[in-house]
Amino acid sequence: MSDSEIITHDIIIVGAGLAGTWAAMTAGEEKLDIAVLSKVHPLRSHSGAAQGGIAAVLNNVRPVEGTGPRGPLEPIPPGGEAVDSLDLHMFDTIKGSDWLGDQDAIEIMISEAPEIIYAYEHMGCVFSRLPDGRIAQRRFGGHSAPRANYSADYTGHVLLHTIHEQALRRGVKFYSEWYCMDLIVEENICRGIVALDILNGKLYTMRAKAVMFGTGGYGRAWKITSNALANTGDGVAISYNAGVPLMDMEFVQFHPTGLYQKGILMTEACRGEGGYLVNSTDERFMERYAPDKMELAPRDLVSRAEQMEIEEGRGIGPDSQGLYLDMRHLGEQKICERLPQVRDLAIKFAGVDMIDAPVPIQPTAHYSMGGIPADSNGQVIADADGTHILGFFAAGECACISVHGANRLGTNSLLGASVFGRRAGRAMAEFVKDGADLQPIHDDPLQRNQERIKHLMDGDPASNNHESVSRIAEELKGTMTQNCGIFRDEERLANAMRKVNELQERYKSARIMDKSGRFNTDLLEAIETDHLLTFSEVVVASGMARTESRGAHYRTDYPARDDEDWLKHTLAHKEEDKPKLSYKSVNIDWEKFPPQERKY
Amino acid sequence: MANCSFEGQSVTVRIQRFNPEVDKKPRLKEFVITLEPGTTILDALREIKNEQDGSLTYRRSCRHAICGSCAMNVNGKNMLACNQPLKDHLDRKGRITIRPLPYQPIIKDLVVDRSVFWGQYQRVKPWLIPPRDVPEKEFCMSPEEVEALKNAEKCIMCGACYASCQVIGLNKRYIGPHALLKAFQRILDPRDSAPGERLADVAGDDGVFRCHTIFNCIDACPKELNPTQAIETLRKLAQKRQAFDAQRRERQKSLINSAPIMSAERPGV
Repeated sequence: MSDSEIITHDIIIVGAGLAGTWAAMTAGEEKLDIAVLSKVHPLRSHSGAAQGGIAAVLNNVRPVEGTGPRGPLEPIPPGGEAVDSLDLHMFDTIKGSDWLGDQDAIEIMISEAPEIIYAYEHMGCVFSRLPDGRIAQRRFGGHSAPRANYSADYTGHVLLHTIHEQALRRGVKFYSEWYCMDLIVEENICRGIVALDILNGKLYTMRAKAVMFGTGGYGRAWKITSNALANTGDGVAISYNAGVPLMDMEFVQFHPTGLYQKGILMTEACRGEGGYLVNSTDERFMERYAPDKMELAPRDLVSRAEQMEIEEGRGIGPDSQGLYLDMRHLGEQKICERLPQVRDLAIKFAGVDMIDAPVPIQPTAHYSMGGIPADSNGQVIADADGTHILGFFAAGECACISVHGANRLGTNSLLGASVFGRRAGRAMAEFVKDGADLQPIHDDPLQRNQERIKHLMDGDPASNNHESVSRIAEELKGTMTQNCGIFRDEERLANAMRKVNELQERYKSARIMDKSGRFNTDLLEAIETDHLLTFSEVVVASGMARTESRGAHYRTDYPARDDEDWLKHTLAHKEEDKPKLSYKSVNIDWEKFPPQERKY
Repeated sequence: MANCSFEGQSVTVRIQRFNPEVDKKPRLKEFVITLEPGTTILDALREIKNEQDGSLTYRRSCRHAICGSCAMNVNGKNMLACNQPLKDHLDRKGRITIRPLPYQPIIKDLVVDRSVFWGQYQRVKPWLIPPRDVPEKEFCMSPEEVEALKNAEKCIMCGACYASCQVIGLNKRYIGPHALLKAFQRILDPRDSAPGERLADVAGDDGVFRCHTIFNCIDACPKELNPTQAIETLRKLAQKRQAFDAQRRERQKSLINSAPIMSAERPGV
C-alpha cells in the first residue's frame, strides 16, 4: 500500500452525532490529534431528529399538590421539597429495561445526568424555561417523575447543533462525507479503519491509536421506521465482520407513535403533555393494559398494546393497521408552544392538524438496544469475561453499554449518548496519553475493500444474472417486519432466518449501475444493504435462541419472562460466517434493585 | 401549481443530470413514474434511483425536514424534497423540474459543493462564547429571552435561503442569510459574552448592510424562519454596538449573580 493512501491520527471517531462529538470534544481538551468521520455532514446526524427531551433529575417541577401523579405541573419553589431522586430515576430505568440493564452503568449515567444538562446549557443549548428562568421539565413514559428536559419538541436538534459548534470551537477535524467501510482488528487490538472519501471515491487506510464508533442504530431493517435513511447499522455490522461480538441484538424498540404508514416520529412528549391513544371504537384502550400509567407506560408495553388492538380488529385506516393519537383536548396554545414540530409534521405528512383532529399513528421501529458491547468507559469487550479489544471504543446507539437493557425509556438515549460519549472521550485520551502507540497492520484491508467495490461494479444489474440491491433491501424489510417485529414466535423467526439467508446468497450477485468514483451513492446504498443483511441475521438468531419474553423481545410462544434461564445478555460472534451465541451475566445490585414483576 | 390530480397516473419528473468528470454541461433527463397517494418529491427520487437509474445522485437522510440534507431547486424554487408532496408541484401536463441548489458548484446531479456555505457558517463563530464564570446550575434566562432565539435556533442549515439570495449570486463573500441568522442567535443570547465583537464583524463589508431586503430567504425557508428580520435587527444593534455590549455585561452579572459559580473554561469536560 502506498503512503498516500494512509492517514494517521491519535484518535479516530466514526459518527458525528452526540456520542461521537462529545468524545471528540472531550478528548480534544488534551491537545491530541483527533478526527471525526461522518458519512453525512455532522449536522445531518440522526441525534438531531430526537424530539421530546433528555432525562435528568433536576427537581424543577412537581405535580400540583393534591392532583395525584398525573396532575398538572408547577415549578418547585426555591427550598421546596424534591419530588425526584437519582434512585428513582435508576429504578425507573432498571424496571424499564426489564432488569436486563447493567446497574453499575445505569448508576453512572444517571448520576452524571444533571451535570451533562448544565454543561449543554452553559455551551448555548436553548432549553425551554419555567417563568423563573429555570429549565422546564415534562413527563415521559416509564418515568415516575417529570424529568425530561427539553427544547420544545426539537431537543435533539438543539443539542446536536450546540455540541457540533463547540467541537468546531475546539478545532476538532471533521471528515465530512467520508464512509467507514472496515474496522481493522488483529489479535484483539484495533489498528484503524478503512474509509472512503465519498466525494472522489478514493479509499484510505486510516491508522489511529484509538478508534471509536458512534455510528447509530439499526432501525432501517424494518419497513415502518422512525429512523433516517442513513441508520443502516454500519458500525454494528462492520464490528461484527471484524470479529467483535454483538450484544442483545434481539432487542429492538418499536415506538408507539410513528405517523401512520410513514413511520415518522410523533414524539412521546405528545403523551407526556397529556395526549390520548384511541382505537376505532373511540376507546382509550391503555386503560386495559396499564391502568396506572396509561399512555405513559414504557414503549414496549404501549406498542404491544397497540399491536393487540390492531390484530383484534380495532385498528383504523385503509389497512386497519393504525390507531389515533388524540391531542385535541390540549388546546391550540399548548400544542403550538410545546409541540410545534410534530404538529407541522402531521400537517405535512398526514394532512391532519392535531388541533382539530386525531392523528393516525402506528408502532414504528425506533431504537436499537443491542449493539457493540462496551463497558462504562466505552471500552469495547471481546467476550463474557470482559476482555478488552484494545484501542476500540463505542458509545451511543451503536453501543450496548448496557444501560437500556431490553427496553429503553424515552429521553434516556440523548442522555446515554452524551454521558458515555464524554466518558469514551476521556478514556481514549487517557489510553493515548498512557503510551498507546500505532500498531502495525499485517493484513491488506485496503485491497479487500477495493475488491468489494470492484465486485459490485462488475457487470450490469439489468442483466438476468444480477440482482437489484434495492429489491433485496425491500424484501429484507418485509420479512423483518412480518417475522421479527413486535410479536415473534419460533415459526416466524425461522421464516425470517430462511429469508435472510436467501437474501444474503442473492446479494452475492447484486450489482450497481453507477460505476463512477465521484459521489457514488449507488455504491453506498449497496454496502449499507450488505450491512442490513449482516446484522439482521444476528437479530434473528439471538431472538430465536431467547425463549422468553423480556422488554421489547416478545415471544407469543414464550410469553413470560424467565429470570432463571434468561436473565443474561446475548453475545453473538461471527464464526464460519454464522452467528455463534454465548451469554454474559447482568450486573445487578441484588440488595437495592432485585428483579420484580414489571407492572404499570 | 395545478389543481387537477394525477393520482394513479403517469407523471414526468425532469431532473438535471451532471457529472463534471464526464459531462460537458448539465442536461435535463425525463423519468416517468406513477403518482401514488402521499408521494413526496424525495419518494419520487428514491423510486427513480431504485427502479430506473441507480446513478441518480442526491443527498438525503432523515426524510422529515430536520436534517437539512435534501434542499434542492424545484420548478425554480428552493425547498426540501422530503416534506413536499409531488402532486403540489406538477404543472398542468403533470411535469416537475428538479435542479440542484443554485450558486454553488455541482459535484454530481443534485449534489452541490457547500464549502463556501459552511465557511461562512464557521466565519461567524457559530458557537456560544460563555462568560469566564458560569453558574453551578443553569443560567436563569427569562422566557422572553428564550423566545427571542426561536427564530434562529430552529434553523437546520439546509441552505435553501442561501441559494435563493440574489446577493450571494453576485458576491460569494457576503456572509449570507444562514450565517447571519446564526450570528443573530449568538448576539441575542444573554449567555454570550462577545456580542460587541460579533456585531462589528457582521456590520463589516460582507455583512448585514449587503442585504438588499429582497425577502427570497423568507420564501425559501422550509422552517418558516425570517432571516431578513434577523438581519434588520442586527443592523439596528450594530448602530449602538457599545451600548449593547455594556448592557450585556450588566445582564450577565445578574444572570450569574447570587448563584454559586464555577469556571466555564472546560464546560462539562
